[in-house]
Amino acid sequence: MTISIWRYSHLALAVSSFLLLTLASVTGIVLSFQPISEKIQPYRSDRFNEINLAQSLPLLRKQYPGISELTVDANQFVQIKGSDADGKNLLALVDPETGRILGTPQPKSGFFEWVTALHRSLFLHETGRFFIGITAFLLLMIAVSGTILIIQRQRGLKRFFTRIVRNNFAQYYHVVLGRLSLIPIIIIALTGTYLSLARFGLISTPEFSNEIDFNEIKSEPVKSPDQFDVFRRVSLSEVQSVEFPFSEDPEDYYTLKLSDREITVNQITGEILGEVKYPAAVLLTNLSLDLHTGRTNAAWAVVLAVASANILFFIYSGFTITLKRRANRVKNKYTADESEFIILVGSENGSTFRFASAIHEQLVSSGKAAYVTEMDNYTAFPKATHMIVMTATYGLGNAPTNASRFETLLERNPQPQPVRFSVVGFGSHSYPDFCKYAFEVDNLFAKQQWAVPMLEIHTVNDKSPDEFSHWAANWSQHADVPLIVSAGLVTPRLHRPHALTVISKTTVSNAEEAFLIRMRPEKQLDFTSGDLLAIYPADDHRERLYSVGKVGNDVQLSVKLHVNGLGSEYLYGLQLGETIDARIDSNAHFHFPENAGTVVMISNGTGIAPFLGMIDQQPVYTDCHLYCGFRNEASFALYKNALDRNLADKKLSSLHVAFSREGEKQYVRDLLARDEAFLMDVLSREGVIMLCGSLSMQNNVVALLEEICQKHLEKSVSYFQSRSQVLMDCY
Amino acid sequence: MSDLIKTVLVFMVLTFARPASSIAQTAGTSKYKCMIQMTNYMGEGAYIVVSLINPKNAYDKTLYVMGQDKKWYNSLKEWHKFQSKKPVNISAITGASVTGGDRSVNVLEIESAKINAGYKLRFESAVEDKNYYVKDLEIPLTTEALSGKSEGTGFIRYVRFSPN
Repeated sequence: MTISIWRYSHLALAVSSFLLLTLASVTGIVLSFQPISEKIQPYRSDRFNEINLAQSLPLLRKQYPGISELTVDANQFVQIKGSDADGKNLLALVDPETGRILGTPQPKSGFFEWVTALHRSLFLHETGRFFIGITAFLLLMIAVSGTILIIQRQRGLKRFFTRIVRNNFAQYYHVVLGRLSLIPIIIIALTGTYLSLARFGLISTPEFSNEIDFNEIKSEPVKSPDQFDVFRRVSLSEVQSVEFPFSEDPEDYYTLKLSDREITVNQITGEILGEVKYPAAVLLTNLSLDLHTGRTNAAWAVVLAVASANILFFIYSGFTITLKRRANRVKNKYTADESEFIILVGSENGSTFRFASAIHEQLVSSGKAAYVTEMDNYTAFPKATHMIVMTATYGLGNAPTNASRFETLLERNPQPQPVRFSVVGFGSHSYPDFCKYAFEVDNLFAKQQWAVPMLEIHTVNDKSPDEFSHWAANWSQHADVPLIVSAGLVTPRLHRPHALTVISKTTVSNAEEAFLIRMRPEKQLDFTSGDLLAIYPADDHRERLYSVGKVGNDVQLSVKLHVNGLGSEYLYGLQLGETIDARIDSNAHFHFPENAGTVVMISNGTGIAPFLGMIDQQPVYTDCHLYCGFRNEASFALYKNALDRNLADKKLSSLHVAFSREGEKQYVRDLLARDEAFLMDVLSREGVIMLCGSLSMQNNVVALLEEICQKHLEKSVSYFQSRSQVLMDCY
Repeated sequence: MSDLIKTVLVFMVLTFARPASSIAQTAGTSKYKCMIQMTNYMGEGAYIVVSLINPKNAYDKTLYVMGQDKKWYNSLKEWHKFQSKKPVNISAITGASVTGGDRSVNVLEIESAKINAGYKLRFESAVEDKNYYVKDLEIPLTTEALSGKSEGTGFIRYVRFSPN
């Protein structure tokens, strides 16, 4: 698969160039301040753009008879050179219209000169320039491979700028900033490469020169220079430099070096003696210099500085991502040939390896010969009795990078003895095609003669340690191998930075009823409804996550009290005013959508918690509809007052409640089936449907949606999921 | 002649002799406008030094330096030896380096006594990572040479003078 080629190139290019790239970025940031510091000097004439040469040159030559040259720099400062009345060398910045001296050109800042030399040649002259040139080219390649990776990640060019699923800080911002600064970085890299190529003569610049036929030079009719046509036509803003005639002799002439051509002008008659256009290579070099240095535009210089700073961030975040992946690799104690337990891993970014190595370690420590490898290393394992496949899914149900050849290898290498297998799929419900590749692998195994199914396929959502432990316990029972996968092995985070104080709590009369608990963060906290609150009730590895609603600035949870429920009993036992340490994780895929027209919220039981907060956070007249399911009127009573207030405030447009044990004994699915036309209308108008509650409710609702989407819109639910129009957060 | 006339005469002589003697002092140097036209080479700006060479073929005086960054001065090997042995402040006679195809016009101040006296003008040039020409151009310091055009052999295409 091509993904691996691009990813490996992206990494290989980055590794091979990061030292020089760091240096070039840091010096680049410093250098971007050069144009800014120059442009704030007061030497630019306000009327610069309106002046032509006829207004300026004759006047300057009259005031400074010894003038030999006029130059216009990138800041549009006009500088003249020549000799003054005493015959001394003269160098000054002047007002091109009045000839008034504005100042003397300052010698270039030694500091910037030093940084420039470092930036383009590392103080190593030609050798240094060569390496910097290569670095610029590598940066270009990194940018190109990065673009392709983003396109593949976002599944299509059209979706290039749509939302990115957030995994962790480094990865998320690597992609987010990558998209933003892509264009400036490509420009920096491209112009840098071009300048190096031009410097080393790899881009041929044809020789050009103004040939003058001195026999043709006329000395009449005599014209006053301010009447010269060419002077009146050329404005000062087009000029790079003007060489004044060396003497009064008719054979000495004006040379006008303009931005795109060079013109020579007879100083007596004003006739054009010669005109040459610069070759394209020269114009491109100038353009590259303008774009690479920002010398003509201070705003662009700022953009360049920001882009350079971004490169530094990419180096940092890129290596963080890579090191994380590396850390997940497993060291094998036994060889493939002598191992009884074979663990095959299919992983896009390496995170699945953490789970595989947890199992591997346990097996080895209990004296079993076990072997972990990538799915693409599948071969005949002569001593194998058990095979465990742990795989993620990439993109639209494709195989991850290191499992691309697995299907072929499996067909080609049948195992000589029966082997019991179990497949664990890793994925996230926030992506469409949840664990699709794992299902495919399970089917492939089922077709093999030698393969004996041991467990049903098991899926793990969002790396859930609970779901994984569940599989591990099950597998260890069937395989008769003791296996204790403590959640700590697979959840290294026990970080609890946020202190929360209980400010209110409802009471329950029976177990299995729900209660509302409200907690106030001690410090200002940036969170929103739909985020997850992680608590550690027993102060150990066991983590419990709750979907939060933000009401005012408080965290509100809706929790069902279970008998012996670790999290629920802990929360219910908290006293008013008691403070706990916890952590709020951003859960961006389940935030209230921005700019969606209509939002339909679907919940059962305590799944209503995030919606209570979301509705409360909305301004009035939000087109928001809530479908919720409860056991009976009594269990809904807890939320009734708040929702009635929301209806009255017009924050909620409609409320539909299903009771499963009372009255019509309906489920939320039945209400949705009733309003089928409305739901399809919402989806076709780019509205959003959000689901929160139990997994069985999710399965029911998704099955219904699938059916009606196919019927009315001829599309699958996954189509809307991939466009963030169906959002789910179920447990 | 009456005493009065004598006194007037002495006075007049004294009056005119004073400026005459000061003219004689400044007349010791002459200024020439010197234009260096470069060939169309590709690459960095050339560093060029104009020096006065005495009849024994040794450096006498630095007249003008094109190129401001001291770190490149050692690329003008011979002149650099002379300048390091007897460092002279050249900041007043230093200008920008000259790129291929460009020209540079500068004022040279030469002691009049050295013209037509066996002295020479040497134009020494060097370009970063390219060649170094000790005598890109060397011309006898004569009135004739100072009114004409002389061809260079390295980065310099030609040099022209005109009295200032």
